[in-house]
Amino acid sequence: MSLNGRYLNTTDAEHQESALYTLVNNRGDFLNLLEQANYPLKMKLTSETAQHDADIEIAHSTTVVAVLYQDGVMIAGDRRATAGTSVIYDRAEKVLQIDRHSVLAISGSPAIAYEIARVLEHSFQYFRRSQLQELSLEGKLRMLSRLIRDNLSMALQGIGAVIPIFALYDLSADENDNGGKIFFYDGLGAHFENVDFATTGSGSIWIRGVLRYLSRFGDTPMHAMDQQQAAITILRLLDIASEYDAATSGYNAKGNIFPNIKTVTRTGVDTISDDDLAAWYAEAQPKAEE
Amino acid sequence: MRDEPYRWIEAIQDRRDYIEDQLRPGSPVVGITYNQGMMLLTIGRGQRKIFEVHDRIALSAIGHPADIERLRMLVTDTASVQGFQNATEDVNLHRLTNYVLAHTFKQAFESIVGEAYIIKMLLAELGSTPEKNLFTAINFDGIVRTDTKFAVIGGTEVIETGMQNYLANAPADADRDLTAALRLSLETWAVGKELSTREPEETDLEETQMDTTQMYKVVDTAREDGEIEAGVLETTLQGASKFRLLTSQEIEAALQ
Repeated sequence: MSLNGRYLNTTDAEHQESALYTLVNNRGDFLNLLEQANYPLKMKLTSETAQHDADIEIAHSTTVVAVLYQDGVMIAGDRRATAGTSVIYDRAEKVLQIDRHSVLAISGSPAIAYEIARVLEHSFQYFRRSQLQELSLEGKLRMLSRLIRDNLSMALQGIGAVIPIFALYDLSADENDNGGKIFFYDGLGAHFENVDFATTGSGSIWIRGVLRYLSRFGDTPMHAMDQQQAAITILRLLDIASEYDAATSGYNAKGNIFPNIKTVTRTGVDTISDDDLAAWYAEAQPKAEE
Repeated sequence: MRDEPYRWIEAIQDRRDYIEDQLRPGSPVVGITYNQGMMLLTIGRGQRKIFEVHDRIALSAIGHPADIERLRMLVTDTASVQGFQNATEDVNLHRLTNYVLAHTFKQAFESIVGEAYIIKMLLAELGSTPEKNLFTAINFDGIVRTDTKFAVIGGTEVIETGMQNYLANAPADADRDLTAALRLSLETWAVGKELSTREPEETDLEETQMDTTQMYKVVDTAREDGEIEAGVLETTLQGASKFRLLTSQEIEAALQ
């Protein structure tokens, strides 16, 4: 890779090219930069590939869930990765920090999802470093839309669909307001803001109704829950999902593996420690009958 | 012109004189280490001069804003692409300096028919341990100086020597906190600024001994139409990106 030639100006023609390049890249567009460096962003599959998709077992399926709680957003994912009926990994990280105030929870094909998360992380950083300001909230949402839309051909061939939840904290929100934001994406890249909660992945159908019930009729509305209450609720929800969905794991007692839970608040992104999770998981269980 | 060696050397010398004349009044930049990382400081007039390049690398420069911008983008783009294609840990200042920047500077300087870069650049890289911290200063002709403790760039060599002497006599950095680092940087900046106001023939280092009151007077004068700009690479910062600009409140607090 050599970008140097574009910045040198030994001849008039090259100088014009360099001026043009600077103009194009002044947008702080990382995807454009990767194209200039010949990075293969999109996989080019032949049309025959689609016919073979039945032969390929791609790791996918999941339950990820995000809820608005009193400090911001709490976002969690189970740890199981499956291919067909096989469990291939039980420590998958599906909740990925993108920058100081945003987190992506992924469901779908992990290879593409991790790549999307990585491109997203580097894009935000590149924008900040080149343009000398943070990318706006709307700009971040659009960048993720673009990546999902660019992945359409893979999704249509049945081997690379990615449906994420994107949680951010809006720092421009009033100090006294909750700046937590949860966005849900469809396979074409459209984004929708969810007010109280979002869930996706194969296990999500089992808990969506519970979430709706809790947010509407629960003793404490979810947005008023503190960190511990919200975490206990989420642990219970993932437990329910794992009961009914073979591709979702709950707490794995043999390996002492807990779901990943992160919080996105005004102070940044935080991961809830395994010690806290262990204590709260115990509390999340129904009390044994006397 | 290349067929006539004498004229080529003469042209290079003219070019060097021209660039040095342009750089002389530039506001110097000071780079030092402190107990939580590294700091770059200058006093600017509106144009931002301290930048984040990558997770652990910061940049500042003196010279023409258009040249600074172009070369800043070169190194930022290169670091960003390399950090993505490989891993962010694979981006390092040694490679960026020697394989990307230095030869670009040299090539532009010696292509006497092309435009010259009017620039001196100072980069800092936060190491995994304090011993691995690295400063590199790149002159407009592509010559690189590296240091692990401190580095400065100023309009001329005399200015830089004066500032380096001041820093060399400063207390050891192990116990220097952010406030102490900020003050030391400002004092060093004042030494450089004072030297840059003198005519080249008047400059005599023996006569540039200033006490701290005089230094802060120079700083105060500069602040009338300028602003202190300081960026740090801070080991304690959460996440992979270690760069941040100091807030005006932090700077004011240190000056109290």
